Amino acid sequence: MHPILSDSRRLLVYIAAWLMTGIFIARLLVAADLTNWTYALLFALPLALLCGFLASSAYFVCRSLPIHQRSFSTAVMVFAAAAMISGLGWLGICYGWNKTLAAASEDMPVLNMSPHLSILFFLAGFASYLLALLAFDVYIAFHNIREAERREAASRLLARDAELQVLRSQIDPHFLFNSLNSISALTAIDAAAARTMTIALADFFRQTLAIAEQEKISLKEELRLCENFLAVEKIRFGKKLMTEMQIDPETGHALIPPMILQPLLENAIKHGIRNLPKGGTISIQALQRDGWLHISVRNPVAITPANSTGNGLGLSNLRQRFFALYGEQARVSWQQNNEEFILEMALPFERDNNE
Amino acid sequence: MNKPLQVLIVDDEELARRLSMEYLRTHSDLIIAGECETGVEAVDAIQKLNPDLILLDIQMPELSGLEVLEVTGRRSGVIFTTAYDQYALKAFDLHAVDYLLKPYSQQRFDEALTKARKLLSAETSGIPATQALSQLISEQSEKMQRLLIRDRGQVHVVALDSIEYVEAQDDYILIHAAGKSYMKTQSLSELEAQLDAARFVRVHRSFLISLAALKSIEKASKDSQVAVLHNGAQVPISRAGHERLKNLLN
Repeated sequence: MHPILSDSRRLLVYIAAWLMTGIFIARLLVAADLTNWTYALLFALPLALLCGFLASSAYFVCRSLPIHQRSFSTAVMVFAAAAMISGLGWLGICYGWNKTLAAASEDMPVLNMSPHLSILFFLAGFASYLLALLAFDVYIAFHNIREAERREAASRLLARDAELQVLRSQIDPHFLFNSLNSISALTAIDAAAARTMTIALADFFRQTLAIAEQEKISLKEELRLCENFLAVEKIRFGKKLMTEMQIDPETGHALIPPMILQPLLENAIKHGIRNLPKGGTISIQALQRDGWLHISVRNPVAITPANSTGNGLGLSNLRQRFFALYGEQARVSWQQNNEEFILEMALPFERDNNE
Repeated sequence: MNKPLQVLIVDDEELARRLSMEYLRTHSDLIIAGECETGVEAVDAIQKLNPDLILLDIQMPELSGLEVLEVTGRRSGVIFTTAYDQYALKAFDLHAVDYLLKPYSQQRFDEALTKARKLLSAETSGIPATQALSQLISEQSEKMQRLLIRDRGQVHVVALDSIEYVEAQDDYILIHAAGKSYMKTQSLSELEAQLDAARFVRVHRSFLISLAALKSIEKASKDSQVAVLHNGAQVPISRAGHERLKNLLN
């Protein structure tokens, strides 16, 4: 869309400005004693308007050379050539209009097109086109910046929406109802344990709500969430569920997207530990190496094929989230052999500066 | 008073089992016959003890509650316990079997028991319950990814992907999967109906093969052909079977 021609208000202002310019040229011509006011206006006003429309075409020249793709030398050449053509064209039109007016009426104080005046007309055409080019360039640059800002805001909003949806769908209703059932059982057996479990469950949910608001959290916070989750699950599964954490202290301050580790533990229990009659140990490892944060989760698995499909959905979900946040800069991979499921991820090490 | 009813409790979470036991304590006409932690244990216990009533958790590892019923052929005297289950809720709308949503109250538990007692004492009313359960189980196995085979007191779980071919014998079928063979009392047509028709083809009256396992089709004689599988096995193809195979491969 042309910024001037497509907007009637701007177009009016633009035309008015060029008419003013026409009056200014007429004034100069009169001042130089080349002609009288009537002829000067008759001559300069239509020419100024024409010059205005000619200059508005500069927008398309700018558009054809997008700012971030052009080289300086081509831009200079194209701009100079366009301004040159425009200047010459305008000069020709000045000549023609002068002749036409002369032919129309005999007693007009026609301009005497001296070489001196010709050069002035040419320069005026050349300069106004060049100015128009630069003005449109600046306009386009500003427009691009605004556009980019708007797009970024929109994509941030989208990402946030997606994130919340992910978080919402990740909390397994089975987890909540089964935990409540365990608490119900504990009230008669061990009231203190029932209370502990209620508090762990509440802490876990409160934390997920607080975390969901943030784009990134420190690994330490995510681990705290995991601990609350594991506290609940350990009451449910008893001795079957064991965990082992090897967390490099350096990595506690690393920033990660929220709720990436907790769903992995949930998976490890659902598809691994729970299927093993004797249970097993989930190992979580986090370390920093060469500007990367490496996190791995391993858990033993049963050899029998699982009866719960849908395995892998959560994992590809994780991969998508990483891609949305880091592009090609993060990696998630998983593999399963006969006895063990191993998930590994690497993401750029970002330090949390708030601590 | 009749003789006390035997109850089997099946749940993989210890606390959930203890809750059921606590609720059962107030019922003097019920005896806890046993408790099971896994579906496989439940299959054995059901076979061995033949309890009157089973409190059966649906989401269990290894074998789900519905799979336990599928393997054992048990179709009545079941109260499901579940945290949240979409399939179950649909079938339960038939009011033929009862279910308890975790966490449940003593009152709700007692109601379920009363209903179960009524169903057990009136033999005739067991019929709709049987039908409802059969429907539930068949709905579940339409989505199946694996086959359950009970053989000499053991439950084998065979992934559908690993099945190479199935052979019909007198009144049972022989399933060949990943280099092993399993016997199952079921007709080949029944199994064929359960399996995905795009992945498994009945190539002969008594043979069914997995398309993924098929290597080539070779001429055996002038007008008969055999399917050669990746594991080297050769399976005869009937004329009708050849047609079906051709349709699938094109």
